[in-house]
Amino acid sequence: MAANGTSAENGRGVQSCMSRNGMWKVTSRKLPILKAGPIEELHERIGIPIPEMIFGDNYVSISHVKSGWTITLNAEDAMDRVSKTEEGMLQVAVAEEWKKQRSKQEEVKQVVKPFDWSYSTDYKGTTEKGSSNGEWRESDPQKHPIRTDLLSRPDPILFFDSVDLYEDELADNGIALLSIKVRVMPERLLLLCRFFLRLDGVIIRIRDTRVYIEHSSGTVIRQYTAKEEQYEAVQEKLRSMRENVAEAFRDANKLGPLLRTLEDRTDVFEVG
Amino acid sequence: MSDLDKAIAQLRACRPIPENQVRELCYKARELLIEEGNVVSVDAPVTICGDIHGQFHDLMELFRVGGDVPETNYLFMGDFVDRGFYSLESFLLLLCLKVRYPDRITLIRGNHESRQITTVYGFYDECLRKYGSANVWRYCCEVFDYLALGALVMGASTELDASDAPLADPTSQSTLPSDADDLEIEILNSAGQIINRFMRARNNTSQDLSQLSNPPSSPSQQTPSRNGAPGTGASGASRGSGGNNGGAVLCVHGGLSPLIDSIDKIRLLDRKQEVPHEGAMCDLLWSDPDEIDGWGLSPRGAGFLFGADIVKCFNHKNDLSLICRAHQLVMEGFKEMFDSTIVTVWSAPNYCYRCGNVAAILELGEDGSNGGYAPRSNGDVGRSNVVLAERMEQRQGPGRRYRVFEAAPQDSRGMPAKKPVADYFL
Repeated sequence: MAANGTSAENGRGVQSCMSRNGMWKVTSRKLPILKAGPIEELHERIGIPIPEMIFGDNYVSISHVKSGWTITLNAEDAMDRVSKTEEGMLQVAVAEEWKKQRSKQEEVKQVVKPFDWSYSTDYKGTTEKGSSNGEWRESDPQKHPIRTDLLSRPDPILFFDSVDLYEDELADNGIALLSIKVRVMPERLLLLCRFFLRLDGVIIRIRDTRVYIEHSSGTVIRQYTAKEEQYEAVQEKLRSMRENVAEAFRDANKLGPLLRTLEDRTDVFEVG
Repeated sequence: MSDLDKAIAQLRACRPIPENQVRELCYKARELLIEEGNVVSVDAPVTICGDIHGQFHDLMELFRVGGDVPETNYLFMGDFVDRGFYSLESFLLLLCLKVRYPDRITLIRGNHESRQITTVYGFYDECLRKYGSANVWRYCCEVFDYLALGALVMGASTELDASDAPLADPTSQSTLPSDADDLEIEILNSAGQIINRFMRARNNTSQDLSQLSNPPSSPSQQTPSRNGAPGTGASGASRGSGGNNGGAVLCVHGGLSPLIDSIDKIRLLDRKQEVPHEGAMCDLLWSDPDEIDGWGLSPRGAGFLFGADIVKCFNHKNDLSLICRAHQLVMEGFKEMFDSTIVTVWSAPNYCYRCGNVAAILELGEDGSNGGYAPRSNGDVGRSNVVLAERMEQRQGPGRRYRVFEAAPQDSRGMPAKKPVADYFL
């Protein structure tokens, strides 16, 4: 890709890039959605129905070359963190109407296999420690900030990829999408793994995991932010801002600032 | 060249037609559709298609693979619009073809043919962008309200004439059934080459087509010759040597409804309205088959799931051999379930331009054994009192030829390949 950071294609759908100092390597794999057989196997392992668009072969990983320490983000581990019971289960907007109308139909069982069908996950990546001795330690954004000032500079992007892990149209009640973006600049890299949920008439939810590394350091900063807000409240705000509401509802970047923050935590891993 | 033929030519080039022409087209289409029942009767041979979702160039690819209208008789099971970039051109072309060749193309309603859904999933915005007003969207929505809810394919043959075509993978020669008699399923690629063949199992119990899809999705399933291998038993279904009627095939967008136990009940619905949030009409467009017993409520709180017993019972009662539906993305383009009593057909390749899935269409041949006479025995023929036996007698399904195809080549789309654009996200 670029002359500076070494970047290469190796294997089907795989791309990778090494930081200039040779300390960090970013790899991504992008392939079509899974076929029926692998979906069935995944379903067996995870135990909940699989989202209709499941990019089960996709992943993004960041490795510390010397120690072999790696953080990988993939669909299976993300889905394994989706609630497999009624806990946290949302209902679509017309559910109440449905219940009233259908309560007389005795032949219809209630929900057959309850699970969080919105596929909401608090996934923060899968870590393999390699030969490093550290642990994830909780920190705070003052001590370990993600330097948005440095990230906002128009430094050359040596490697960029955007990788979907899964998406579900929620039977046309909105969208649930887990996707990753990663970019490598000469001195630092940023990864954003975003879960975006819009359940029409009910709720907007964004859960971001950011991984930030200064190539010269052995410190991995990971920030997890969970936000949500009732659909109607967001709609109100968009209207008062004179936004094109329909369009804004498809744009997580526009919606993000309008949501309440429920959780915001920073963890740090000292790799070497 | 008539105005209609001109409009067809223009739409085939993926260029929208003027607003006043759309209004006229929609008016004519409504006059035509109002005459159709809720369940349209369609005679085999027919090619059945699933969701299109505004992927115009892939619809052109579908016509290339399946043959053009009017040479090929088509049945589209809805979801013409939303998500893709060319909902308008796709739907208007299909509508023009319907008006031009009413007996050669059947359109039934999908859950996206609705005012509410199209305002959220793209068709409304597309009309606004291409015409500067919502008029065209309004005309189209009025047509949606008149689309039939289902179709009944009559006179499909149980026999399938083997294609005289080369194999897609010459090395599979030894594993594919060589004897072309008694063929039940044939799967062809977009070049017309044979990907796979399945023989009709003479002894039903030895057959495992419960989860057939194409191509066999994992190596462990790749045993193409497992059905009807020589010597699997001469007894079993007895048939004459000529063609045989494969029973009626019901086509709906979504699936069944607990409020509908016979096709006649579908005929009694008042369909000329926006798709309601609940009730039989809603279910036909929204429900999904699932590996459950009986009926289930979706965990979402709205929408039904139905199991194999429901399908088998419905098919038996209504003298159907197969239910054909769309509505759900399947990577392989089609998926047969419940001992081949129901099939999902999906016709939008590389869905949303990024799923990488293939698409399929289903061809049902014509039964010539009765000199073209197709007995119209559907609905309740005094079978409703039959006690559901442990193993219900299952009607022999029609011979099925699936044509599988990929997305149209990128250069035919007049738009650049989708490569992620590096951005300074934070």
